[in-house]
Amino acid sequence: MEPEQFREIFKRLQTEVQKVIVGHDDLIRKVLVAFFAGGHVLLEGVPGLGKTLLVKSLSRALGMSFKRIQFTPDLMPSDIVGTEVLTDTSGRREFQFKQGPIFAHVVLADEINRATPKTQSAVLEAMEEKQVTVFGESHILASPFIVLATQNPIELEGTYPLPEAQLDRFFFKLLVAPPAPAELREILKRTTGIESGDATKVLPDDDSGTVNEMKYLLRQVMIAPPIEDYVVRLVHATQAEAQNGGPVQTSVKQYIRFGSSPRGAQSIILGAKGNALAEGRVHVSYEDVEKVIFPALRHRLILNFQAEAENISADQVLADVIKKVPRN
Amino acid sequence: MQSEPDEGERPEKLIDRLAAKLRHQALLDSLLIFSPPVGAAIYIIAVLFGAAWLGQIPMLVSAALVMVLGCFAVVLRYRPAAPSVSAAAQLLDRQAAAKDHFLTLATVKPADWPASFLSRLRRETSGFSHRVELKRDFPYRLKSSAYWSFGLSLLAAILISFLLPLTASVARPGVLQDRLRALGQEMALKPGLKKVGKDLLALAAKLDEPKIPREEKQAQAQELKKEIEEQQKKEEQKDNRDLLSQAASALEGVEQQQAVGQERKDEQKGGGGIQSDVRQQGQGKSEQSQGGSGDSKGDSSAQLSTELQQGKTAQGNPKEPGSEKNQQQGDAKQDNQPDPSRSGKEQNKEQMGKTEGGSKDGAGKEKSSEEPPPQGVSPAERFYKGGEGKEGIKNARYVTVQLPEEIAAEGKGESRATKESKGSRARTQVPVSNVPLPAHVPNAPSEKQQVPIEYRGVIR
Repeated sequence: MEPEQFREIFKRLQTEVQKVIVGHDDLIRKVLVAFFAGGHVLLEGVPGLGKTLLVKSLSRALGMSFKRIQFTPDLMPSDIVGTEVLTDTSGRREFQFKQGPIFAHVVLADEINRATPKTQSAVLEAMEEKQVTVFGESHILASPFIVLATQNPIELEGTYPLPEAQLDRFFFKLLVAPPAPAELREILKRTTGIESGDATKVLPDDDSGTVNEMKYLLRQVMIAPPIEDYVVRLVHATQAEAQNGGPVQTSVKQYIRFGSSPRGAQSIILGAKGNALAEGRVHVSYEDVEKVIFPALRHRLILNFQAEAENISADQVLADVIKKVPRN
Repeated sequence: MQSEPDEGERPEKLIDRLAAKLRHQALLDSLLIFSPPVGAAIYIIAVLFGAAWLGQIPMLVSAALVMVLGCFAVVLRYRPAAPSVSAAAQLLDRQAAAKDHFLTLATVKPADWPASFLSRLRRETSGFSHRVELKRDFPYRLKSSAYWSFGLSLLAAILISFLLPLTASVARPGVLQDRLRALGQEMALKPGLKKVGKDLLALAAKLDEPKIPREEKQAQAQELKKEIEEQQKKEEQKDNRDLLSQAASALEGVEQQQAVGQERKDEQKGGGGIQSDVRQQGQGKSEQSQGGSGDSKGDSSAQLSTELQQGKTAQGNPKEPGSEKNQQQGDAKQDNQPDPSRSGKEQNKEQMGKTEGGSKDGAGKEKSSEEPPPQGVSPAERFYKGGEGKEGIKNARYVTVQLPEEIAAEGKGESRATKESKGSRARTQVPVSNVPLPAHVPNAPSEKQQVPIEYRGVIR
């Protein structure tokens, strides 16, 4: 596949989703980047902002199988990954594996923080290993595979906040902002009339070959060593230990308990590559890196009590880090 | 796919050219910043050598050291300032708004990436190359630090040029003599220059002698310089010529030194400064003492001022600390002693006259008109020398004490007669004040007399 083809498909997918979702252009773009980079996305926003619709539209445009799991406190791991059931086949009774909703290309884990940690951890293996193990038997998940999880920042009663280890497995954490007045007007126009737009397929059904080629192409995008060094310095600067006598003094030491893991750096570089390719370039620029730092690192910084008391967000700390870490 | 651009169009070449250009600019900057101080330092060394403050070897060593240090400084400044290829590429990216095309092309390893991507990147970068023109976009601009460096170095050189001749004779007067001696010794070993060498040694010895007047020293130095210059013209051997030229430059230094010393002496005569004041005061007091006041301070200060006139400082001879002072004190004591060769009547008569002269200015003036003060002779010559005449002191001196009530009476403007009567009464009241000092005992310990406070600063 050529970079031009990638760009064209990417653009068409974006356009199709934008037919359904008003605004959120950057959000759609980043979800697509994460998809082609092989990552999972955590969408955070209040209810009614179109998170579920976004995921549905994306899966439809991609022509991929889509499953939705509504996470509740009584949801069991087997409800997600599937279980062995006793079946009667031609007079013989035997256990047969019944696949759960995780066996789909695009999985929407709606309100993931409402499930118990036991159930959440069932998704964990699926997200990282792209396989599930049931009764000692491993089952490979479909490829491509993406989990788009949503969580509500309010109504925290009866929720189980995702553990850091699970948060780290998300490629991007994207914040879904409320629509601007003009966008809201457009939403009303589209949803309260007779005609309702729907995303059309860009890729044929289950065309995993094209998607995998696109994923491979993304990893071939060139990145200059100085830009790699910049990413390393950025991620290193988020660690509180690096602040002790380090060359760059930021607010990290004051507000961060734990900095980003190496997965953060991987996410930045892959996200930057996806961004470059989406713009029709075969190399990463500093701008690409800076565009993906926030979604790649915001959920990987563990804030301390002082930050919470002072209402300091991870984005504010990251902004300080970007400001203070020089490019060269 | 488009074909590869020609070798001449390759953007890598543009990056290399820019990197080289920026490196040259950085080197030029460093040179422009450090060359003026190095030049100034070498000039100063040359000036010091010309003024005979530095020998030939120290001059060469210090000049070499300055040059090495200059080179070191240039390298130290150049190394961090010289841009790397990636820095040059980033500059090109910024100039052409190329979104890190140049940077990626300049820094990625071709083997690690697909050839198709590389060729595409090169092609895209070539398109951006046309937006950049090195001459136009990266011109050389002289840094302000270079201006500062040049200005300060020039200032330093000018200051040294002006200040060195002034300080040459003050700061290190002995260096010239040492240099003359060294040259003289070296010349004395050479058959053709033996005489000049000896002359140089003699001149060096003469320069060390403070009693010899400056004019004489200067005249001898000029004479010797002329002689050396004449011989220099005749001399065929290069080594000898070099030696003679060094000697000539050293003699020039001697002339300058003597000239500056003479100027300072003239300034002193002109009445400026503390030494000049002292001299004038001393003269005045010595006249007064000749007039019959018998003030020992006048004698000692006059002697001191004479020595200052001769170019000595108060601490001129460090080998004999306090000897002058003791001598002066001795002289003063002698002044106060009566002449043993005279008869008691004469002595009494003289004593009366001098006492009157000491207490009244008019009487003193009369006495001074009878005996004009010796001119052109040092105060010490006012005493008889062995075999010259009568043994002892020419004019015995007495200490005249003016009592507080006398001073008060003068202030009130009382008549002379009243004053005389009061004075005589006062003297009778304090008989010890006018008792002649004890006779001079040759080896007696000198009287401990403090130097008057107004001269202490001068003597120190």
